[in-house]
Amino acid sequence: MKDSITPAAPMAHHATPSGEIYPDAVNLEPVRAAHRALHETRETITADGNTAAAIATLQMWRCVLFAGFPITPSTKWIETVAAHVAQQVGGKKRVKLMEAEHAVADYLVGSAAACRDLIFPTATSSVGLDHMTETTRSLGASGLGNVLLIDVYRATANFPLCIEGDPSDTLAHRDDGFIQIACRGKQQIYDTVLQSPCLGMNHEIMTPVMPGYYGIKDSHRNARLTVEPDREIHEFQDRWIKPCPFPGLINGDTAFGNCVTSRHFQGFKISQKQRMDRVLDVLPQIGADFERQFGRPGLAFFDSTGFASDGSADLTVLTLGPDFGTFEFIREGYAKKTGLKVAGVAMRLLTPFPREAVRKRLERSKVVMVVNQAHHQGRGHLTLDVADALADVTNPPRIVSVFAGLGGADVSEATWEQMLDHGRGALEGRALPPWAFFHEGKAL
Amino acid sequence: MSGYKEIALRESCFRPGSTLCPGCMESIALQNVGRVSDNGAKTIFTIGTSCAEVSSLAFPNVVAWGRGDGSPDDYAKSFAIIHNVFESSPTLAEAARDVSDILADHGAIERPIQVIGASGDGGAFAIGLRSLLHTINRQSRITFLVLVNEIFANTGFQYSPATTPFAETSTTPVGDAQMGNPRIPLDYIHLAIAAGAGMVAQVSPAYGKLFVKTIERALECKSTAIIFVPAPCISGWKFEDGETVHLAELGAQCGVYPAFIWERGKGGSVKDCSEATAERPPVEEFLGLQRRFHHLVQKDPQSGKYVARAGREADVERLKEWTQSNVERLYRLATLQ
Repeated sequence: MKDSITPAAPMAHHATPSGEIYPDAVNLEPVRAAHRALHETRETITADGNTAAAIATLQMWRCVLFAGFPITPSTKWIETVAAHVAQQVGGKKRVKLMEAEHAVADYLVGSAAACRDLIFPTATSSVGLDHMTETTRSLGASGLGNVLLIDVYRATANFPLCIEGDPSDTLAHRDDGFIQIACRGKQQIYDTVLQSPCLGMNHEIMTPVMPGYYGIKDSHRNARLTVEPDREIHEFQDRWIKPCPFPGLINGDTAFGNCVTSRHFQGFKISQKQRMDRVLDVLPQIGADFERQFGRPGLAFFDSTGFASDGSADLTVLTLGPDFGTFEFIREGYAKKTGLKVAGVAMRLLTPFPREAVRKRLERSKVVMVVNQAHHQGRGHLTLDVADALADVTNPPRIVSVFAGLGGADVSEATWEQMLDHGRGALEGRALPPWAFFHEGKAL
Repeated sequence: MSGYKEIALRESCFRPGSTLCPGCMESIALQNVGRVSDNGAKTIFTIGTSCAEVSSLAFPNVVAWGRGDGSPDDYAKSFAIIHNVFESSPTLAEAARDVSDILADHGAIERPIQVIGASGDGGAFAIGLRSLLHTINRQSRITFLVLVNEIFANTGFQYSPATTPFAETSTTPVGDAQMGNPRIPLDYIHLAIAAGAGMVAQVSPAYGKLFVKTIERALECKSTAIIFVPAPCISGWKFEDGETVHLAELGAQCGVYPAFIWERGKGGSVKDCSEATAERPPVEEFLGLQRRFHHLVQKDPQSGKYVARAGREADVERLKEWTQSNVERLYRLATLQ
């Protein structure tokens, strides 16, 4: 060590609001060059959701260190990554198995702060995400947009324990500060994971991203998946991800995670909110660019179906997740049977909630029935967001709130029909309870 | 190894401006660690929530960290610090180490990087024991300091698993039904060895040269080096101004926290603390200088020495028995290879 005290050659540097940065301290070109492609050409494979997410992270050249801790139903993400890394003789990517989810979250802080131009992914679920909470709340405010936390939805609260898909975990973490994007279907999972770092690492956003999908329903069931060549993925991501303008631990003279007095706390929080607001402008641009390059829909605020060309509908369903597919399957038949214009919205961007876009989409509906799939003390997480979005509309749609599919239960065709009949009651002017609960074709 | 004087002239990464209490041993420890680490490698420092953190990284107060006032041209003098939650410091350090190593493995960085972490004993042994032991177990190549003041000091002097038996803390008060802390401290040195540390030491900056040499060896360790730093807390232990170093030395000599240096494969030794009770300063002398033990001892007006208060003789005896077992245990641990 004594020999190294001899002063080394001066290194270029410049000042930033967060301290001095040494751009030449880290040269990521060798990292990019060391990446071994998983796919040289576009291919169609069969995969479950966890595998789709794992492939997406493995294809990114900026992902070299995969930290994880297994928890059902997200476990196969880390298993898939580990299996791949184990096969790469001479490969330089590493898997880091931690002792608990909290440790994973702390590890993400340390690694993402160490090098802000690499992407640090993990996957978790349910109480695993809850266990991370102390640190996810720090991460959400940290400016470390190079953290990618994949949440495989599963009910939280272990009394009773339920391992199936229910978004109560992600919805309980709305205030952690992450950008939260819901997916349905393997292709959307794969595509969303690929686009997420472009959003999180955008210089005006710099906020970690939490893409999520339903446990079991999407994490464990197989479907066809189109995977893109690594080369094209890199091309796409490199268009959006530019070197971080602020120093990291390795390339900087800086301090992360200071204490502040309440007087100065306000500034940090305003900045955090402003960065989050920028998602509403940047996300559609990334989605459009993705579609241009790969020919599939990219990131969007929501998917919608059944609206008339003037945007009107009699009864509009708003929900998220794969059960929306069952609704889509019966929608036309139900509309024909009842003579109603029936439309649907499947939310993609949960946080920040795209209030304006949702308002525009729903303002010409007569009734909006919000189907909540997670326990909530009141009318439902999504119901409150929708009510807020419609608050300043003249003659707003009547909002009907229902719960269905809790604990990952399938929402059957019969259940959807029961719920639609319930929503129709609002169209007929009937008084309805603040919320209703449906399961297996019945109101409970 | 570098010379002691040469190290003393280096630029510490712990700078003036902290709001640590005057007489705080943590400040002395960090200044010394800061000098040793000015060795030509870039330093990344991680810190858990603790006195050392809230007193040195509070905005808009002075950030009491950084390497000197010279030109920033020298990358090795650049300094980066990160704080996250109470228990996170070992994991943060491990992460920074891993990313540095992976980048070096790729040829993406060329300059040497050293990673040093720090926690208080509350952060390390209570809320953060999981984090600490697993980072040690994974043999991460970091140097980790646990600043042991035996309390959660920055939150108001609550009990920690390192609190000396019978000590009064804000959550182990003295009353008719309880004489301060009723528990035996966690055997953290043994735990660190058992978890797989490459180097384990307990040494206070009161032993200046030994402390500095120990840190220097720790920075050269190929796996986790963990240094427990006994840190008399002027506010929490309630002693007189100017007694910090004396108390640190006395506590080590009388067997409450003997200086201990151990390296895997080489074994270790206990320093400046005889295994024989009679050859050590009486524990009562150590207790008597601190008002957290006011319920146990008092100064004998005749002899001027500290002695057990009337009715507390059995408690003092139990504390002495624990001290003896503490010393004997360290002597046994020193024989491990």
